[in-house]
Amino acid sequence: MSQVNRITGGRIDRSTQIAFTFNGKVMHGHPGDTLASALLANGQRLVGRSFKYHRPRGIFTAGSEEPNALVELRRGAAQEPNTRATTAELFDGLDARSQNHRGPLGFDFMAVTDLLSPFLAAGFYYKTFMWPRAFWEKLYEPAIRDAAGLGRLSGQDDPDIYDKGYLHCDLLVIGSGPAGLMAARTAARAGARVILADEDFALGGRLNAETLAVDGRAGADWAAETVAELAAMSNVRLLGRTTVYGAYDHGVYGALERCTDHLADSGGKPRQVLWRIYAKRAVLAAGATERPIAFGNNDRPGVMLAGAVRAYANRWGVAPGRRVAIFSNNDDGWRTAADLMARGIEVPAVIDSRDRAAPLDLPGTRHVRAGAVADTQGRKGLRRITLTDGQMIDVDCLAVSGGWNPNVHLTCHQRGRPAWRDDLSAFVPGGDLPPGMVVAGAANGALTLGAALREGRAAVEAMGYADKTPLPEAEDEPRDCAPMWHVKDSRARAWLDLQNDVTVKDVKQAHQEGFRAVEHLKRYTTLGMATDQGKTANIPALAIMAECTGKTIPETGTTMFRPPYTPVPIGALAGRARGRHFRPYRLTPSHDWAKANGATFVEVGNWLRAQWFARPGEAGWRDSVDREVRTTRTSVGICDVTTLGKIDIQGRDAAEFLNRVYCNGFATLAVGKVRYGLMLREDGVAYDDGTTARLAEHHYVMTTTTANAVTVFRRLEFARQCLWPDLDVHLISTTDGWAQFAVAGPKSRDLLRKVVDADQDLSNEAFPFMACGAVTVCGGTPARLFRISFSGEMAYEIAVPARYGNAMMGVLMEAGKEFDACPYGTEALGVMRIEKGHAAGNELDGRNTAHNLGMGRMVSQKKDCIGNVLSQRPEMIREDAVQLVGFRPVDPEARLIAGAHFLDTGAEATMDNDQGWMSSVAHSPTLGHAIGLGFLARGAARMGEILRAVSPVHGTETEVVVVSPHFVDPEGERLRG
Amino acid sequence: MADFTLTSWPPLAGTDMTLAGVRLWAPTDLAVVSLALPLGREDAAMAAIKAAHGTALPEIGKSVVTADGVRLIRLAPDLAFAVFTHATPDAERVVAERLGGAVYTTEQTDVWVALGLSGPDARRALERICMLDLHSDAFAVDDAARTVMEHLGVLILRTGADDYLLLSASSSAMSFLHALETSLRNIA
Amino acid sequence: MIIAHPLLGPRDASEFVYLGDAALIDRPDWQAPDAAERFHAYGYLRDNPAGAHRELWYHEQGDRSWLVVTRDTVTHEISRVELARDAARARGRGR
Repeated sequence: MSQVNRITGGRIDRSTQIAFTFNGKVMHGHPGDTLASALLANGQRLVGRSFKYHRPRGIFTAGSEEPNALVELRRGAAQEPNTRATTAELFDGLDARSQNHRGPLGFDFMAVTDLLSPFLAAGFYYKTFMWPRAFWEKLYEPAIRDAAGLGRLSGQDDPDIYDKGYLHCDLLVIGSGPAGLMAARTAARAGARVILADEDFALGGRLNAETLAVDGRAGADWAAETVAELAAMSNVRLLGRTTVYGAYDHGVYGALERCTDHLADSGGKPRQVLWRIYAKRAVLAAGATERPIAFGNNDRPGVMLAGAVRAYANRWGVAPGRRVAIFSNNDDGWRTAADLMARGIEVPAVIDSRDRAAPLDLPGTRHVRAGAVADTQGRKGLRRITLTDGQMIDVDCLAVSGGWNPNVHLTCHQRGRPAWRDDLSAFVPGGDLPPGMVVAGAANGALTLGAALREGRAAVEAMGYADKTPLPEAEDEPRDCAPMWHVKDSRARAWLDLQNDVTVKDVKQAHQEGFRAVEHLKRYTTLGMATDQGKTANIPALAIMAECTGKTIPETGTTMFRPPYTPVPIGALAGRARGRHFRPYRLTPSHDWAKANGATFVEVGNWLRAQWFARPGEAGWRDSVDREVRTTRTSVGICDVTTLGKIDIQGRDAAEFLNRVYCNGFATLAVGKVRYGLMLREDGVAYDDGTTARLAEHHYVMTTTTANAVTVFRRLEFARQCLWPDLDVHLISTTDGWAQFAVAGPKSRDLLRKVVDADQDLSNEAFPFMACGAVTVCGGTPARLFRISFSGEMAYEIAVPARYGNAMMGVLMEAGKEFDACPYGTEALGVMRIEKGHAAGNELDGRNTAHNLGMGRMVSQKKDCIGNVLSQRPEMIREDAVQLVGFRPVDPEARLIAGAHFLDTGAEATMDNDQGWMSSVAHSPTLGHAIGLGFLARGAARMGEILRAVSPVHGTETEVVVVSPHFVDPEGERLRG
Repeated sequence: MADFTLTSWPPLAGTDMTLAGVRLWAPTDLAVVSLALPLGREDAAMAAIKAAHGTALPEIGKSVVTADGVRLIRLAPDLAFAVFTHATPDAERVVAERLGGAVYTTEQTDVWVALGLSGPDARRALERICMLDLHSDAFAVDDAARTVMEHLGVLILRTGADDYLLLSASSSAMSFLHALETSLRNIA
Repeated sequence: MIIAHPLLGPRDASEFVYLGDAALIDRPDWQAPDAAERFHAYGYLRDNPAGAHRELWYHEQGDRSWLVVTRDTVTHEISRVELARDAARARGRGR
């Protein structure tokens, strides 16, 4: 097909022809075309089927407000549905397809739904598919979803990459039409850091679509010169193809830049960038959107907005029709007639709803005064219009103008509500704009070119940016508008929301059924809820609702405008946060060693930790874990425990500070000693635990659990700055600085003697349980040694600067060879702490108190510490409160399940009979059967009792015996050995 | 005894690449020591720092390079970092000895990894991950700030017109490198 | 949102962690005869004003300072930012 409707002129590059396909058919266009302008140039008027009734639809607008012409672009994984043909930039090889039809576009089998429309009016599914109820999910909803809809997703991973970024400016100008260009130029010449953003690929806004002159030359040329001036300035950043989609608090704006959507191949670069723009001030110069007038069958391909028709002719050199009638309630519609006629397009009639003389003298066209279009004919494209007086006019395009709505959207993204202006019959920005924002030009209701230029400059002059050069000269073209929202004499269906197929009748029905508030109207009819958010539909629908209720339009109100202004792909919101880089990951210092030695890793927060180290011949993880536990308990095991939080605490008041943040006493801890500490929340619930070592008089190092490392630090800073600001205490995290290894088991001392330099006496007398100190290892490398144990064995933790961590793991294993030392992972660590009865995350779960944990006596009442007052509330120290105890199954072969609840033998499984719950379970290779820790009402007094551990979720029930939580070495002899 | 030797293995050692005309590299042997000023004895602490380095602690958000090549970075009223080239794992001791106990010092060398970024488009790459305004009017040479990039805490320093030094936690070094490398690739 | 840090200038709110009502500075005396009641009020009772609200923010991805931010909960306008340490001292907290 050739470009049958290409006419002269336009701002396209005719020297280059590019080929694209639509539904497989090869067509041609030029650089500078949109898909829509190229389709029109090629005579393709039918471009899609409507959402609900599968009505034939064409191109309705020339911008991002397009409700109809949604297409699928590209193939395979890159397929993108619901792209507006009016904003898609044409490129060589573009593959576009129409949406929402079965069979060919010209003969959609689903068009039968249109015949059923009497049954499918607003709210039909609330009524029609009420009964039988069970049919909804199984039959009705899938059938409706199948029948209605938009484009299809590829179902594959998005092959494109996306990015985000942050920009700062003194002034953000949103929109590059006359007002935006003037604002940007004025501020930029005054030295401001300016960002000028426009959703279009060609900057200039409506200047590119009009024949109006600026300073005696074509407006589009003036725009191009101004853009060139701005582009050459180092303090200006031009962001074309960029939609500012949201105005957020304190001058933060969201913007989506489409970097490579106009290219056949992104070349491995981000397809889109989501910018967060920090703007001290902003000028919203987003222009205005034309609105239609509703009349019978006003949705046929060929019925278009008048400003769009003019834009296709002027900017793209395309005739949307060869015989074009104008239907307008305002002066602006006449300019479409004038521009078309100037380009040799026949305009048989201008139908003006107003009973007044023509604002423009246009010989060669007929002026129909006080006229209106009642109906249209033409199955897949407009052939004829019928006026309310019965006369019929053969046309292939009808340009409709119902006036212009200022694009107030971003003014409403915080608290602003638009204000009605009778003289424009439109909403304009109200008060309460986002702080720092001013509105200029058509977006502010200044609909003439001259006014737009004046306002653009004035807006930034008010901010203190001056430009003494004279304002460009431009006319204030006539813009009178007399409201007319729909043609009352039309009997056929008159469409308001073309994308969601909402008609005038639907609005009237909503009124009759009591859905009169705008928010109800919207939800009942789905008006404005499509991807275009009703940019062309909402105001006419509101006006019709106002007519029905007898209220004014401002009394009827508007729905809220929320971000985004136009759709933002989820991929852009995700940015680069995909796959392995969804969030940062942290590696332990011995990660490489672990990887080379059979480790299976587990994610613990952001950390990757070795879970176990499989050896050849082991059938499954249990074999490996059992072996690691047995080796540690009988000889020596080594575990990387770097992930525990380490906080360096210094200051003259450090001891006092620790005494207040831990519930147990720390004031008396001697230098060279370590103490276990339990932290409470202020409400008395146990929060975190760990050990703190006193390295010197005023120097401590605290350890926290891996999970709470960040939040403990935060709380300590809170206590330091907000509660006791005059204590001399200083905190700094050293978690990542020290590679720390647990060396546990009866041979741990023997092993460490081979690694720790000889000047440190490791004998039990010189370095007893809970000792700590600075040592050197491997001939002088500084290290810290702590004699602490999580496993219950004689154990140490040795820390070296992290850079030596990987080597240290190898050294410890090498030194441990003679003892058959093994590395162990988090599973064995967990098994051993359960065997020893140590509480961990499953027990410190935000519900349990020290009393529940069996550590109630640790909570000192002789000092002020966080949580001690509220920990003594009667409810928290009840005699019958749950207490941490151990459990073993009566049948040694039985398994235990964490989360199971305890019931007395014979008691029914009800909440009233609930006695507590199992928090941690493991298979104990030391004991040869399952063991568990759990919370049981009055647990400490119930040793030996037999209960049922019931898990309704798993459908299991196991008889268990209540035992001490210290399954291994209850007297702690091994620790101190 | 001492049959074993420990080899140093910093996470990003050897990183040096040029992308988009920007050099991305990991400086070797960069030591970091934190300096906390004792409450109520700040003047003595500041005097000790000045005596030791010949230069006073700069204002918050600024850094200064002393005659002996130590970059002193003031991060908060009572906190500064000393960053300097020092290969052995005793940077804290070296700094502490010069300050004679007037300042609380903590070894931070292995807590951090550093990446340098040099080239005319360095700022354009950082725009993709750094929410701070790095325009020279807002972030001049020797300015320093702690912020977040790609969920990672980062200390960013401007060391020259087109030169930056960034420090982030050593455990997440691979994510840190990925963040910067991706930023460069995306603007290349 | 942007918080104008008193020492560092404007910073994006995403560098901060929000805690809540700045009344959390006013931790009661543990030895008061009615300490239990006072800690209960401290822990659980909050005003929820539509308007100016003094609240605690922590500059976790920054200088680790706690701030008292006076924010209008209706408009999000921030009218004042103080170092919490100064605010705490002004409210009589010390050692």
